[in-house]
Amino acid sequence: MLLNRKQSGKRWHLRPDGAPKVTGQLQYLTDMTLPDMIHGRVLRSEYPYARLLSIDTSEAEALEGVYAVLTSKDVPGLNRFGIATPDQPVFCEDIVRYVGDAIAAVAADSPERAALALDAIRVVYEELTPLNSTDAALAPGAPELHEHGPGNVLHRTEIKRGDAEQAFATCDHIVTETYYTPRQMHAYMETEGGLFVPDEEGRLNVYAATQHGYKDRMQLARIIGCPEEDIRVVSSPIGGSFGGKDELNVQPYGALLALRCGRPVKMHNSRKESVRAGLKRHPMKIEMQTGMSREGIIHAHRVRITADTGAYATLGAPVLNFCTEHCLGPYAIPNVDVEGVSVYTNNGVSGEFRGFGGNQAIFGMEGQMDRLAEIMNMDPWEFRRRNMREKNDPGPLNQRILVTDGLSQVWEALDRSELWQKHQSPPADPALPPWIKRGVGAAIAMHGAGLGYGIPDPAGGRLSLNNEGKIEVAFSYEEFGQGLVATLEIMLCDLFQCSTSDLSIIIGDTDRVPHSGSSTASRSTTMAWMALQRLQTPFRSRALAVASEMSDIPADELVTGPGGIWRKGQLPADTSEVETDVQKTGKSEKAERTEVAEIVAGGTESAQIAESYSGVSQYQAKLEAPSDFVVSYAELAMQGEADEWIFDTKFDYPTTPDNVVGGHYLYTYAAVAAEVEVNTLTGETKLLDTRHVVAAGPVINPMGYIGQIEGGSVMALGFTLTEDAVMQDSRYVTTNLDTYLIPTIRDIHTNLEVEAIEDLPEGDSFGPRGIGEIGSVALAPAITAAIHQATGVRVNRLPVQREQLVRPLNVPLQEGVSPS
Amino acid sequence: MSKPLENHWTAVVNGEQKHLEIAQTTRLVDVLRTHLQLTGTKVSCEVGRCGACMVLIDGEPVNSCLVMAYQCEGSDITTIEGLHGEEKGTLHPIQQAFVEEGGFQCGYCTPGMVISTKALLDAHPEPSQDQIETGLCGNLCRCTGYGGIIRAVRKAGERCALTETSTEETVS
Ligand code: FES
Ligand code: FES
Repeated sequence: MLLNRKQSGKRWHLRPDGAPKVTGQLQYLTDMTLPDMIHGRVLRSEYPYARLLSIDTSEAEALEGVYAVLTSKDVPGLNRFGIATPDQPVFCEDIVRYVGDAIAAVAADSPERAALALDAIRVVYEELTPLNSTDAALAPGAPELHEHGPGNVLHRTEIKRGDAEQAFATCDHIVTETYYTPRQMHAYMETEGGLFVPDEEGRLNVYAATQHGYKDRMQLARIIGCPEEDIRVVSSPIGGSFGGKDELNVQPYGALLALRCGRPVKMHNSRKESVRAGLKRHPMKIEMQTGMSREGIIHAHRVRITADTGAYATLGAPVLNFCTEHCLGPYAIPNVDVEGVSVYTNNGVSGEFRGFGGNQAIFGMEGQMDRLAEIMNMDPWEFRRRNMREKNDPGPLNQRILVTDGLSQVWEALDRSELWQKHQSPPADPALPPWIKRGVGAAIAMHGAGLGYGIPDPAGGRLSLNNEGKIEVAFSYEEFGQGLVATLEIMLCDLFQCSTSDLSIIIGDTDRVPHSGSSTASRSTTMAWMALQRLQTPFRSRALAVASEMSDIPADELVTGPGGIWRKGQLPADTSEVETDVQKTGKSEKAERTEVAEIVAGGTESAQIAESYSGVSQYQAKLEAPSDFVVSYAELAMQGEADEWIFDTKFDYPTTPDNVVGGHYLYTYAAVAAEVEVNTLTGETKLLDTRHVVAAGPVINPMGYIGQIEGGSVMALGFTLTEDAVMQDSRYVTTNLDTYLIPTIRDIHTNLEVEAIEDLPEGDSFGPRGIGEIGSVALAPAITAAIHQATGVRVNRLPVQREQLVRPLNVPLQEGVSPS
Repeated sequence: MSKPLENHWTAVVNGEQKHLEIAQTTRLVDVLRTHLQLTGTKVSCEVGRCGACMVLIDGEPVNSCLVMAYQCEGSDITTIEGLHGEEKGTLHPIQQAFVEEGGFQCGYCTPGMVISTKALLDAHPEPSQDQIETGLCGNLCRCTGYGGIIRAVRKAGERCALTETSTEETVS
């Protein structure tokens, strides 16, 4: 189905957080203030690599208005953090390993005074020569950045199948190429920060963005040396994350300063500090050698991945696992020899980023496919089909995966598309000047969801009827913009035929939600759906049984509906669908205005509370409350004990039964076509048109779905054409959004079509798959294929170097790979 | 040390006369966010690139991170909090369109986007694609890919045009 507003009809659901966001009423955690708060700042390293000889804080401490100056001596618990491998110091003790390393933190009565205090801290360093590349870090004799070596290797991966060596010897054609991908920055618009508030009971309230409040709480408790229950983490709403806020960032400093001073401490990173200290996408070098027979069947694939993980581990190892799994693409290759290594350097820290290593791998693998097809003189799409895995084939790691038709469906849908058809007869526009060249390219991908085999990936949730008579769900997921709350609303309205005003959705607050895992790896939608499937039956049966007792109507004649329990067949007609503005605009102007007034009023109130998304549903304009129900939810909630109305579930994200660490079980599939225009005088590439075909199961929230694919696609456009956090001698050269160039509204492809394939095998118990990442993984190779058709240049390095595409007018464009 | 003089700052903010005692070198974005608690204006890049801090000064869209208090002394400043429909507490047609078309995700760029859209539609009630791109290229959004924003701006344009015609009709 071509996904757009018109096709979506009544499912075009207005987000409950819309009004507070468009009016500026919504308080982000970095907007929060308290009257007696003070301001925290962090002193970061002057050098990418140095020994710390001494730190003198006395002058800073003596300054008026300075409340605390903390260094490593002041960390009561573990002076380390990191989701997977806690190897990043809260404060460095003796060595600094990158320019974002923290040495001290101060709290003062104004941000300016805090900055002065930082200047007054005297640090003596012994500068060391930074390991500014993976080559330098792997060179024999290179100093070891961490004790847990060997050498500077964080992690190695390997897939060996068949006998690649021998297979290459029999191949008729071999393509050898090395691909380079950039250090992409998340560039979330809200930089890191928040408010840290100790309360009278000695608990610490942390209002700061994260993708997993419980993980932050655990890590903070470990740093502070206190029980986890002594900390409450409130973590939504978030002004964007894309993986970048999954690790702790300002939290350790805010927390320690607040506890030391006994006062609320506000932190808010400047963009420059955010760039310097924050995570980036792993820059990778991917060497590939792929061999095929005369008939164009791939027999052998050799891959060497080198990832620059920077100074600390964070999720460097799982990212490399994911990249390794995805560098075979969705292809059946009998002889495989893959080795990956993730290397510590003194560069910025690389970690989790939308696509999780898939983007780099898919760029490489799809590039190989185009190069091989060219040798065969074959349509590149047809070449892919020949080599594609069969529906029942095992996954890339030879693991069992859930069988779906997704791959062939996206292949076929793209094949049929008008845009891809243009590829056959390269678009030539005689009106264009001769230096403007056009081309079309395409790429395909399978992308794993969830954390993979062998990594704890708990899920669960809570469904209850709260004492206000609202159907309440609570999850430990976060809203960082993706539209999770809207999706939950739609799921609940679908399940219970209720209206949005019957709902209370609670997320992002460790005091109020059960542990149901993180919002990462495109997992939240599936997990929430699976949890609700498990919870709906006990909830519904109790509700109907109690209503039956109250009304003397047999339970099997009752159903849940808007406002309460209804007699079957008497549900008001329109409530079977989620309310949409299509319905709303049907009402009179006057009525619409009243609703809007309610929306804004709700927004203001909640902005003051700003503690979580609970009650966010109140923004949603209310349905004209139908009242022909048998029993209202409010009346129901008064029956029996409150905890009899609470239902919990716990389970794990579905994984493959086969013992392959990191191997996925659920995959989503995507095919992307792109049309570009290259100006061979300036080297500028402009993306004109794209089509994304995505197979991820039923579309729950069309507005959210389109938004995620469009957003992912434009992020991938930046990855392909402009984005690179350039480092020189391990220092960032691009330190802000004026030199680090993310796409603007001028740079995007205004023709972006999204086609959703909703089929799932009959009886599939996993429901809709997340689509947070799939829109971002396959655009780069589609664009570079299009550039090749336009100019004859094979691009192997991202972002595309303009110089590579510039040609003097009188020289014909050359085939072949640029040497850069 | 003698107290520096001339620290009175006055301006009309969202229709209300404001008097503050602040250093004239305070950035407008801080005047708004810190002194007036108008946190709808966001900070993101602080170098005039992202547009998150966009406000209207005498009707012109301006990055408030680049303006010092003294530079807008006596001006008429509109922040996102000052934008509303016909009555206070209702959504402006632009805001309504952003909600309906999915013109936001995390929402952090949204106040700035809405303000720039307001300036754009004031200047070009029926903007062409090119005018939309020119009007909004100073506002970065990392979430939406701009698709929803463009649809919202188009819809808002249509709505504003409608409202304007109807007002004119009532007047005449
Ligand atoms: S914060 Fe002012 S333009 Fe970015
Ligand atoms: S909605 Fe997040 S930056 Fe625009």
